[in-house]
This record gives sequence, C-alpha cells and structure tokens, in this order.
Amino acid sequence: MQIYIAAAFVFLLLAAVILAGKIAPNDPYRTNATLIRLAPCREYPFGTDNLGRCVFSRVLFGGRTTIAATFFLVAISFGIGTFIGILCGFYGGIFERIFMRIADIFLSFPQMVVAIAVAGILGGGMAGAMVALGITMWVAFARLARSHTISIRNEPYIMTSILAGKGGIYIMFRHILPNILAPVLTNALTQIGTTMIGLSGLSFLGLGAIPPTAEWGSMISEGRAYIQIAPWTVLFPALATILTITLFNYLGDAVMEYRNV
Amino acid sequence: MKQPGDTKFLITTVFKKIAETVLLLIILSLLVFALMYIAPGDPAEKRLTSQGTAITKEVLEAERARLGLMRPFLVRYGEWLFGIIRGDFGISFKDDMPVAPKLAAGLHKTLILSTASLILSLLVSYPLAIWSAFRKGRVSDHIVRVLSFIGNSMPNFLISVLLMYVLCIHFRLFPVIADGSPTSLILPVLSLSIPMSGRFIRQMRSEFIDQLNEDYVTGMRMRGVKERYVAVNIIRNSLGHILTIVGLQVGTLMGGSVVIETIFRWPGLGKLVMDSINSRDYPVIMGFVIIMGTIYIVLNQLTDVSYHVLDPRV
Amino acid sequence: MEDNQYGSKMNKHALRITDLTAGYGEDTAVLQGISLSLEKGQILCIVGESGSGKTSVIRAITGWEDLQVREGSIEVWENEISRLSFKERRKLLGRTIGYIPQNPAGSFNPIRKYEPQIREMLASHDTRYVRSEVEKAFARMGLDSPGSLLGSRPYELSGGMNQRVAIAAVMLLEPSILLCDEPTSALDVMTANLVKDEFIRLNKERGTSILMVTHNLGLANIMADSIAIMKRGRIVESGDTEKVMCNPTDDYTKRLIGDIFSL
Repeated sequence: MQIYIAAAFVFLLLAAVILAGKIAPNDPYRTNATLIRLAPCREYPFGTDNLGRCVFSRVLFGGRTTIAATFFLVAISFGIGTFIGILCGFYGGIFERIFMRIADIFLSFPQMVVAIAVAGILGGGMAGAMVALGITMWVAFARLARSHTISIRNEPYIMTSILAGKGGIYIMFRHILPNILAPVLTNALTQIGTTMIGLSGLSFLGLGAIPPTAEWGSMISEGRAYIQIAPWTVLFPALATILTITLFNYLGDAVMEYRNV
Repeated sequence: MKQPGDTKFLITTVFKKIAETVLLLIILSLLVFALMYIAPGDPAEKRLTSQGTAITKEVLEAERARLGLMRPFLVRYGEWLFGIIRGDFGISFKDDMPVAPKLAAGLHKTLILSTASLILSLLVSYPLAIWSAFRKGRVSDHIVRVLSFIGNSMPNFLISVLLMYVLCIHFRLFPVIADGSPTSLILPVLSLSIPMSGRFIRQMRSEFIDQLNEDYVTGMRMRGVKERYVAVNIIRNSLGHILTIVGLQVGTLMGGSVVIETIFRWPGLGKLVMDSINSRDYPVIMGFVIIMGTIYIVLNQLTDVSYHVLDPRV
Repeated sequence: MEDNQYGSKMNKHALRITDLTAGYGEDTAVLQGISLSLEKGQILCIVGESGSGKTSVIRAITGWEDLQVREGSIEVWENEISRLSFKERRKLLGRTIGYIPQNPAGSFNPIRKYEPQIREMLASHDTRYVRSEVEKAFARMGLDSPGSLLGSRPYELSGGMNQRVAIAAVMLLEPSILLCDEPTSALDVMTANLVKDEFIRLNKERGTSILMVTHNLGLANIMADSIAIMKRGRIVESGDTEKVMCNPTDDYTKRLIGDIFSL
C-alpha cells in the first residue's frame, strides 16, 4: 500500500518535471529587469528572482536537471557495482583481491571530498559533477553486494548447488542475485536521495550546474544573498528539494518494508 | 578454526593492515598528483594568472624553468611526495607562501567542527536507535523513525540556510557568520549533526533490529532472559558494524564540512579549499585531498582491524 | 512469587488449551479449535506431519509475536495466559515453561563465552550461579570437560555440542512444563537417546510435565502418556497412548500407525 502511494507521488513528480515545458507559465530563462524579486502572485506563483525570472518555472525545469542526472548516475553505478560485488563475493581469490583493492582505493577517497576536488578541477558543469560523484559511487554497491554474497555463500542451498556441479554464473544469477537483490536494490533506491543531495550540494557550491541553468542547489545558492528581502527565491526550491528527496527516500523505505514482510 | 585471543593471528592482521594502509596512501598521493598533472592548463600559466601577472612567452618559460616543470613526471611526483612527508605541501600559486601552515590552521578548525558534530550526532543517535529498535512498531519507534527520516532527507546546505533564515534573521539568536566563538559554532554543528544523526539512527536501528532477529535473541527470550541482558548482547555483537557505520559516515561529514564552512565562513579546510578552487590554487586543493584522504584511510583501516577483534568469526 | 501464581504444583492441569483458534495473517487460521490438556507429571505428544500446525501450538504457548490468538484460551497451571502481554508472558518462560526448539544450536550468542551467558540466564531467574550444578547438567547431556566448554564461544564448537549445551541450559532452570519441538530430529542417535533419557528422568524424578511435538509416532508411542494427532490445524484424534495406538478411530491415525509397522 505504502509503495503504491509513494510510487504514485513519484510518478506525479516525474510527470511534472517531464512536462515542465507545458506546465511552466513562463520561460525559466527570460530575465526581466522591471520584475525583479516580485513576491508570489497570480502570474508568478513562486515570485521572481534577482534577475526577474519566474521561480516556479525555474523550479520545474530545475527538477528536470536534478532528477535526470541523479537517475542516470544511480543506474550506472548500481549495475556496475552489483555485478562486481557478486563476482568478488562468490569467487573470492585473486579476482576479489584485485577488485576489492580497487574498490578500497576508490573508497579511501571520501566521496564528497573527491567530488569537490574533481569537480573543482574540471571547472564545474553538471557532467563534471556527475563524473566526480560517479567515480566513487559504484564502490558502495560493490561492497554491499559482496558482503551480502559472502554472508550467504556458505548457506546450505548454495553449497548444495555447488555440490550438484552447477556453474558459477548459474548460481550467481539463480541463487545469489535474487537473495541479495532486495538489500542492494533498496540501497539503490535510498542512493537516489543521497545522490540528489550530493549533486545539488555540488551545484550549491558552484561546482555543478552552471548558471543560468535552472538547478535547485544553484537556485538556493543564488537566492541566499537576498533571503531577507526575497525569501521565496530560496524557500520554494528548498521545498522542492526536500519534497523530492523525501519522496524517493519514502519509496525506498516502503520497498524495504515490503521486502521484509 | 581460529581460536579466540589468537594474538599471533591478530598481530599478522595488524601488520597486514599497516602495509595496506601505506600502499593505499601511496596510491592516493599518486592519483592526486596525476589528477593535477592532467588538469587542464599548465601550472606555470595558472600560477601567473592567479597572481595577475601579464603572460608573455619569456615570463612563462622562466616560470616553467623555475618550477622545474621540464623534468619527468615521476621525479616531480617523488619530490612532491617527499615534501609532503616532511610536512612541506608546496608553495601557494596565489601568494607564494607555503601551503602547509594554511592547511594546518584549516585542519585545526575543521577538526573542532567535525568532532563536535560527530560527538553530538552519536550522543543523540546511538541511544535513540537502541530504544527505537526495542520498541519496533510502537508509537515511540514511529516518531524516531519519522524524525530520522526527515533528517536523512535534508541536505545540510538546506538545513543551514533554513536555520540561518529562521534563527539568525527572524529571531536574531545567533551571529550569521561564524567568528570562532562557541556560540557561532552552534549553527554549523547543528547543520552537520541533523542529517548525520538521521543517517546514524536509520543505519544503527536497522543493525540493532537485525541483531534482535538473530536466533540467539529468540533463544535468550525463550529461556526467559531479561531484556536488559538481551540489550547487552546485541550491543556487544553490533559493535563491529556500528564502528564501520561511523567510519564511513566520516567521509560524508568531510564533504558536508566543506559546504557548511563555506556557508558560515568557518575558517576550516573546507572554506580554504573552496577559496582555492575559485582561484585555481592547486597545491592547496592537493593538500586538502591528501589530508582528508589520509584521515579517512587510517580511520577506516582502524575500524577494519577492530572489526576483526570484535567479531572473532570474521 | 512465580511459584504462587503459576507453579503451585497443587493444580492438576499443567497446561490446558481450550478451543484455540490462531493464525499468522488476517485470513488464515493455522490452528482451528484446538483443545488439549497436559496433566501434571505427564508426557503429551502431538503428532503430525510438517505443516499440520503442531509447531504453532508451541508458538501459541510461548507467545510467538507473529502468531495471533483469535479465540479460545491457554491455561498454564490454571491461569489464563493467551491474553497476556509479551512482557508478562516472558516471565513464564525459562522457569515455568522451558522450551527446546527444533534446532537449539543457535540459541546462544555465538561470539560470547558460555559462562557469562549462563550466568545472565540464571540471574534473570534470580538464581545463583553454581558452577558444579552447571557442570552436572552438562555431564547429563554427555558433555565431558564442562570446564573448558564454559570458557568457549559457541562459534568455536560443533553444532552437536551447541545443541547439547543449549538443552542442558534449558534443563538447568528445571521448568515445571517442558515444551519440545522435534527435540531429537536434529540430533545424532547417541545424543537423541541421551536427550530422551533425560526427559524421562526429569519426568519421573521431578514430575516435569512435558509437551512434545513430533512427526514420529513411534517415538510418541514409547514416551507419551497421551497422544494427540494433528492434521491441517485440527486435532483429529486424542487420548491415552494405549487407546490411540490400539483402537484408532480416525482414518489418518490408522494410516500413521500402519506406517510405523510397515517400516
């Protein structure tokens, strides 16, 4: 039940940002010197920012930037990480040592520290921010998949399969993957929230989306200077960020709970 | 089968871990150096630009020669690495001053902020997580879960902006800019602690619940063992995992401190590195990654070793 | 205190279940209208195939969280317990009701030594830890060098050893009612015999009332004073062992008895 509610809201959210072009009342990039920092009104439901741009339209388009980048990043990291993790956990030996050493190396860089340095050197841009976060993100999936694989590797049903002479690939996909998928996939879902926090954090620091691109983190950062006179330029993108992250985390939790039943 | 208190085994593990740590640190430094090496632009040029000198061909050549940029990669790497081991992090592009003292001052401030935040988060989350796990499904558990859920869903830059808006501008309770006084530490620490506590509670609670679902807990309860002793056992058995959770969260804390220090102008490593990114002062950025990376590596290797000590089955 | 309420051995019925209906989810009822009675100092065996609901009877008594009692009553020493809270129910476990699960090997914390764990168990029942008593209980389970056992952690020992220690620990509390779920199925023949002998000894010497769940009618025939046959959540036949074995009225019972002799 919870899943359906969460999924329905996520669907609504996705529809809103996909159809941003249709819903948005104004051009999110059109500046207007005569309409600077307008309080919310009928024409500009969330008011206007320091350059007279419609905040509501920018929030919609900004959602597109943030969510698309997040999805892309999580999906790729999940696929690569889980595959490597299962291989390492199941086969062990030199293969595991090589990959886990690589994972250790990537993991030994605290993710955001690396991301900030890499994004800083790459000179900003959403692609740079994604690369910066991505080079360490797969590791978490690999580690999780590996540890779960190890914890079930000596279970009787796996042993039985091994003794029955079943192939490694067969066992990994038939027995291990289904048994570790729930926690790893749930982790992927919760990673959506975390990744979004990371990406908008980088943008907030000026290391992600480049102005004038609409992006929640950078909108909050821009509006911060005028928070006293035009709080809506911060509060609405902030609300959108919180709502979106909460929603995805809620979906993750709902799935987790469903899986536990 | 490994025996308990097998000190020989433990010593071997520790030595392995030390060797591993050294190797990891070398690779870390190599990657950091390589990253700067392939970074767009030429250090001599960057240096001159960041100092505002007009670039002519002669000036550039002279600068290159002075910086030794003509020498091979490994020679320069070795020189840089041994410099760092001696505590010399190079010369700032911006003002030609040694980087090390700036990094040291920043690290000191960052440690104050991070340690305070970590301690506060642990003080709040550890007892709440245990309490919540034992009351799984009850109203109190739901309240803790909702709170930790919200905390976990809030980026720290958002919390800090909102806290600033409400507490500094509306109620004028705190100074907007952190000046190093204890009061000015409150908001940055809160901004870091709220999301971290949320994450801690969630992860620890699920660890405790996993422990409570173990066969031995059912066994204890069926023998009528008091919950007090059940708690002792799950706390004992979860220690390894909890330490790992904390160790990994330190990485998030480091990233968060960059954001928070920038917002509150707290003169730590994070603010320093953001200023340096803006002025492309590469030696500072390199020093920052090296310092944070080293702390993180050493800390997590330590939690790894303690995991072996705490759970002899591993 | 415990004795006043539940252990007063004056009562005749150790355990009485009346018209018990219980289930795990909303709609399914794994137990339907179960009525059973275990008299003081007797051994009652519930016999049935897996899935017949026999384990659920034990879970209903111990207060397994997921199993919801819908109707009927469970009385322990003539005190109704099925509506007690989780916490109150816990007070019965150990001393009044001893429980040996199907595979007791994992019922101690694998990474702590046995000694403090047994201490904690005894302390929970306000009983002093007397090492010689513990060693005696171990010896009765055929465990030699009990001293070194107490100093080791379960993960260092074999599964069979851990089973025996766990059973010895349950016996140590001298429960007035002992519930066992297939107590011998996971044991080797030697240990199974030891456990069986120990049950009989407890029953004879201390008057422990025993409720045993098993799929093995042969075992029930040897040990039980009375037998209840379960099938699909219902009791199809019950009564004195002799009566059930010699004059079965139910077809299912007849088949089960036939199976013993056909082997």
